[in-house]
Amino acid sequence: MKTDDLIDALAAGLEPAKPARPSPDLLIAAALTAGATVALLLGVRPDLAQALQGPIPWMKGLYTATLTGTGIWLATRLGRPGVDPRPAAFAMLAVVAAVVLWGVIEMSLTPPERRMADWLGGTWTVCGRNIVLVSAFAAPLVFLSARRLAPTRPTTAGLALGLATGGLAAAAYGLLHCGEATAAFVATWYTLGVAAAGLIGAAVGRFALRW
Amino acid sequence: MGCCVVDKEAELKRLMLRGLDGDPVAWRALLSEMRGALTPFFKRRLIGCEADAEDLVQDCLIAIHAKRATYDRSLPFTAWAYAIARYKLIDHFRRQGRRHDVPLEEASVLLAEHTVEDGVVRRDLKKVLSILPLRQRRLIEDVRVGGFSLAEAAQRNGFTEGAAKVSVHRSMKTLVASVNPNED
Repeated sequence: MKTDDLIDALAAGLEPAKPARPSPDLLIAAALTAGATVALLLGVRPDLAQALQGPIPWMKGLYTATLTGTGIWLATRLGRPGVDPRPAAFAMLAVVAAVVLWGVIEMSLTPPERRMADWLGGTWTVCGRNIVLVSAFAAPLVFLSARRLAPTRPTTAGLALGLATGGLAAAAYGLLHCGEATAAFVATWYTLGVAAAGLIGAAVGRFALRW
Repeated sequence: MGCCVVDKEAELKRLMLRGLDGDPVAWRALLSEMRGALTPFFKRRLIGCEADAEDLVQDCLIAIHAKRATYDRSLPFTAWAYAIARYKLIDHFRRQGRRHDVPLEEASVLLAEHTVEDGVVRRDLKKVLSILPLRQRRLIEDVRVGGFSLAEAAQRNGFTEGAAKVSVHRSMKTLVASVNPNED
């Protein structure tokens, strides 16, 4: 096709364009998928109704939902050519740093003989794996939600979407399934699970997010 | 070479905003302008396979069209367009299985190539400009090559705007006289 003809064809069918952002509908669908995956594959904790009266599941949910929020923000900035993604990256790092700091303070106030038991809890060996497992089901929807964007760094954008997915999965896992209750546990094992989801997202994004 | 990159940016941005609102005439004008800017941009970066440049220009125009909603209205148009052009170039090299570094440049190179066609001209320009005193030279480089507005360039080089105007005018006279010795 001649370039002149191409320009004519593109201009002829022009419609007004609203700013591109990740589709909220698909992100809600991804969150519901994460919840359903936890319920069906891992099971809901038996004391759920009682646990949700206390603050701990909500604190876990808040942390991980913030990771999702900053992850989507980062992906959105990366998905707009020429926009500096760093503010979003710093925001996410600040959230992680705050929770890690909280965990460190908590452990320093814990009697030394109980520290290891509190930090590792009863499920540290499966926590990260479960978050990655749930992420695998939610990820297609999260990646699909970003398809109107134009990431000029597909690998980094994949990392951001992977972290956002990991945050969603960890929120569902923390609210519905996991009974661990220390900040140090969440700061370590949740964060590692989300980070693993991010790395897988980066590998996928390198190919899936090209345009 | 008189056309100033900053004016160009303002014009392209105006066309972009009208295109985003659905104005096909502005959009056609923008795509044509971008074709003019992208062709030398890609040709210079595809030494040895200039034939691919036309494909890349088309690819890039399609991307500008299809991804126009990712443009943030508060930011310079050139930065957005440059990021897309650079991405398409990197993607092109990757597709060919070539590892090729594409340095991150000032986004304004996308427009500057419009006016300063290639390195030879750039070098000649430097030679011609070298007859000017340093401060005057910097000022004229900023205004006529760097794409700063007169006010910005004046501030960068410690002139008042009025003095900068006079200085640029005198410099141009000197330069014209130097390349055209018969003319007074």
